[in-house]
Amino acid sequence: MNDFLLFLPEFSFIIAALVFFVFSLKKTSAPALFHGWALTLAGIGLVVTVAASHQEGMLFFDCYRVDLFSQIFKILLALGTVWVVFSSNELKGIDPRQHAEFYFLVFVCTLAMMMLVSAVELLTIYVSIELSSYSLYLLVSMRRNADQYVETGIKYFMIGVTASALMVFGISLLFGVTHTTYMAKLSETLPNVIRQPAAVIGLLLTLSGFFFKLALFPFHIWAPDVYQGAANQVTAYIATASKMAAAAMIIRFTGLSSAASPDLVKLLIGLSILSMSFGNLVAIIQKDIKRLLAYSSIAHAGYILIGILSMTGRGYASAIYYATAYLIMNYACFMVIMKIAGDGHNLQIKELAGLHKRSPLLALTLMLGLFGLAGIPPTAGFTGKFLVFAAALEKGYLFLVIIGMINATISLYYYLVVIKAAYLLKPVREYAAVPVDTWTRYLSIALIVLMIYLGIFPDQFVSLTEAAARTLF
Amino acid sequence: MNSLNTYLIISAFLFSLGLLGVLQRRNLIGMLISVELMLNAANLNFMAFNRFLTPDPVVGQIIALFVMGLAAAEAAIGLSIILALFRKMHSINIERAQKLKG
Repeated sequence: MNDFLLFLPEFSFIIAALVFFVFSLKKTSAPALFHGWALTLAGIGLVVTVAASHQEGMLFFDCYRVDLFSQIFKILLALGTVWVVFSSNELKGIDPRQHAEFYFLVFVCTLAMMMLVSAVELLTIYVSIELSSYSLYLLVSMRRNADQYVETGIKYFMIGVTASALMVFGISLLFGVTHTTYMAKLSETLPNVIRQPAAVIGLLLTLSGFFFKLALFPFHIWAPDVYQGAANQVTAYIATASKMAAAAMIIRFTGLSSAASPDLVKLLIGLSILSMSFGNLVAIIQKDIKRLLAYSSIAHAGYILIGILSMTGRGYASAIYYATAYLIMNYACFMVIMKIAGDGHNLQIKELAGLHKRSPLLALTLMLGLFGLAGIPPTAGFTGKFLVFAAALEKGYLFLVIIGMINATISLYYYLVVIKAAYLLKPVREYAAVPVDTWTRYLSIALIVLMIYLGIFPDQFVSLTEAAARTLF
Repeated sequence: MNSLNTYLIISAFLFSLGLLGVLQRRNLIGMLISVELMLNAANLNFMAFNRFLTPDPVVGQIIALFVMGLAAAEAAIGLSIILALFRKMHSINIERAQKLKG
């Protein structure tokens, strides 16, 4: 019975997925009804996940570990899912006949990522990451009337399966070197054999599967095309929830080598620098706002990695904080995009012109979200960057921090271009006013408060992330 | 011990061949087959390690079975996406699918 309680958050999402599986079998489609059901089920899932936040224990022959670290990430995942489902009330980017399948896949994907952050056995990790990827491959390909974006699905699929093939090969090498698939035993045996090339290559190849999910430098190629080509809601889901699971897994895996391998750290530093610089420099020239956010997500993957590669408790805590702040800020931006592009088209930056008159609240949300992404105080993004850089400085990576700072300055430029469009540019032609319903209004206010509150009073949350980082080892 | 090396060399060869195929092929079906080669290289690794280094537990064999199952699911999804692409582009050559850039 106790085991059942431990699995309750995942179980609630299994139920949600099953409900929508039944809905998808029906011949008629009722988008409004589906949205109501999806929001209710996702809301229940979030409440259950929050209620289960302080549980601890092992499940399924020690393959599955429930602790503070996993529970925090499960809350973030559930939160992201609720937000994305909330914004799906005008799901114009997807054929109405496929709405039930859309929600089904979103819930399956959330379930898979929840299992991923709790999994502490290599096979479990592999199966969960594949389940979440398969759902995303289908979600990305579902966009309606997508003649110009028809190649998106196949690009995502091909890069994804290649990354997962690299990952399973890496897992096989790790298994060969350490003779075990349990993370607890791996972290004991791996530091002794980390000097062997097979162990380093195995660890790197395994990490590459997660780098793909996080859109880190060598595996970033899919991000711009997928962000641009997927329906707005799907993009928001990929940009928020799926990044959380990837960050959690990279934290778990880099912890394995426990700083015994300076080469690995050097490589991670290189990837982080390349990821930040590439993302920020290419973002400057973008016209499509989703594509811009894709390059910004590549850059942010680099920032998160700075916290992780410090490989200290404080570094991991700062990475968790940064991931949380990124989830909130990024969703704030995407919520505004989804609201303005109500008919599901791809929003260009110039279409934002005069937004502060059309909808002051959305313009304010967008501005704070972008300020947060750029790292301007007093938002959560600034505190996140501060913590990450502080953790890196503690380990003496001054060079890395300086490059990070320069990158933050570069990124300010293209975020300000968007804000300038929303606040200063005169619209070339008259755009219709943006209808904002009451719930969206409440959600925007909540997001604004959350972004500023987490930025000014981070103490409570930081101590929570530090406690979570301690449960890792 | 020598025979473990044989298996590892074969699997590394398969893996490299698969990776080369993914990078170099322009036919989507060919790319899919190359990915399957990479997965099978991993399977071969698991089986060889299981046979020579940890003969008692059967973890490696179980993982190989799982990977085979997942590879089948992956092929199903991949082929369905390729089919949808073919309906719109009337081609499965990846070079025809390069409109998004920048």
